[in-house]
Amino acid sequence: MNDPYSVLGVSPNASDEEVKKAYRDLARKYHPDNYHDNPLADLASEKMKEINEAYDEITRSREQGNSGSAYGGSSAYQQRQSYTGYQQQRSYTGGNASYAQIRVLINANNLAQAENMLNNMSVHDAEWNYLMGSVCWRKGWMDDASRYFRTASNMEPMNQEYRQAVQYMNQGGQAYRPAGANMNMTNADTACNICGNLLCMDCCCEMMGGDLIPCC
Amino acid sequence: MYGYVRPEKGELKIREYQRYRGVYCGLCHDLRRRYGPFCRLLVNYDFTFLAMLLAGEGEENTCDKRCPVHPARKYPCLGACMGLDTAADETVILAWWKLRDGARDESLLKSLLYRIACLILRRAYKKATDRQPGFASVVETQLLRLNRLEDAKSSSLDETADAFACILRAAGEGAGGDRSRILGELLYHLGRIIYILDAVDDLARDERSGDYNPLRYRFNLEEGKLSQPDEAALRLTLQHSHNSISAAWALLEPSPYSEIISNVIYLGLPTVTQAIFAGTWHAHKRERSKI
Repeated sequence: MNDPYSVLGVSPNASDEEVKKAYRDLARKYHPDNYHDNPLADLASEKMKEINEAYDEITRSREQGNSGSAYGGSSAYQQRQSYTGYQQQRSYTGGNASYAQIRVLINANNLAQAENMLNNMSVHDAEWNYLMGSVCWRKGWMDDASRYFRTASNMEPMNQEYRQAVQYMNQGGQAYRPAGANMNMTNADTACNICGNLLCMDCCCEMMGGDLIPCC
Repeated sequence: MYGYVRPEKGELKIREYQRYRGVYCGLCHDLRRRYGPFCRLLVNYDFTFLAMLLAGEGEENTCDKRCPVHPARKYPCLGACMGLDTAADETVILAWWKLRDGARDESLLKSLLYRIACLILRRAYKKATDRQPGFASVVETQLLRLNRLEDAKSSSLDETADAFACILRAAGEGAGGDRSRILGELLYHLGRIIYILDAVDDLARDERSGDYNPLRYRFNLEEGKLSQPDEAALRLTLQHSHNSISAAWALLEPSPYSEIISNVIYLGLPTVTQAIFAGTWHAHKRERSKI
């Protein structure tokens, strides 16, 4: 294994705080939520494993180094378990055997074959639309994906899976941004807007009897 | 090319700016060295970005060089390396096909000019094709596919964008292994964004001239413009591609150009996108075209 310090990008003399901060930044970067149905998700989870191991190793060796001191294992990143436990598998609940097979193909990133099977089907029900959307999404055809997901959700409005897909599409997904780079491709919330919103909220609060900004 | 892929200059550190400039100058010199003086005119921001992505670690040998644009003083300039050479070859191949495309559908006089330019580039193109046969064949297939989709007035934004995105993905092949997968994903979505931004940028002009533009068939335009919900949908799909670029970029090993590439991805692209949607892009470009 690589040197755990170089994996986290800190010097061996770094303080516990610095190590923890470096670990947190990296964990934020390779968080599975940033690789939702992404064709590179496997590489990201490998990275995540690597930094988890590196962090564990550093914590362990430092604990041994100053056993009895105030430094304890409790400072390990609490949310770590949920990071590694995340799974992107589609579990199959319906009754159609071909759909089950297509889900397996999509999970294995075998998109061409999955698409081929879908194209050969004559019935285009909600699940068909959902799976077609998933294929499109992984291919990078996001515009078509969002249309298929919406069709699926309209056909079966009560289906949680389809609704979540539409929601994820509409909120613009998620991605890691380094500190200071909070611009995106959709309409930016400018500083003026934020002030305006605050003033509106203040007015609303005052109407309701409270006050958000005491001086106005 | 389009010039959409550029750093937000004001946010670069001076040494990053100088390094970026070194790659740009390096690409220009490399084009001249490999393909002659005409081809150096093809240097552009998009392929400078590609050169930075392709340049691996330890490939940084700079030297001071003079150039016709600034004859009075020498500038630090990146010496020939794999990343630059590949970017130079691919610049020539793509430029030749773009000119061929221009010869196909513009007016008679323009078509003649494009043909002449094609003739001038012919030898360089042959040479570049020998060096990058894989890329050249992808460009040919995908541009023919794009032409067919345009002739059929395709209403699928994804399919037309896919043709162009596949070209960019091919530009990153040859890195091998996981790196090639990551670069492919990054470049695919970059190509997708470039294609869609170009469609937005050209929409008003195509609406006047009646030329094909995927947005005219994908959305119901209101007086030649995108309606508010349609614009939001378009921005959203760009946002998804941008997320994919960020996700892929996070997985690449750091290089001497990491800060500059981050700047392009996290600041440059969003700025250009806002400018194109606001219709201020061309003024913006003129104002800051000097490197």
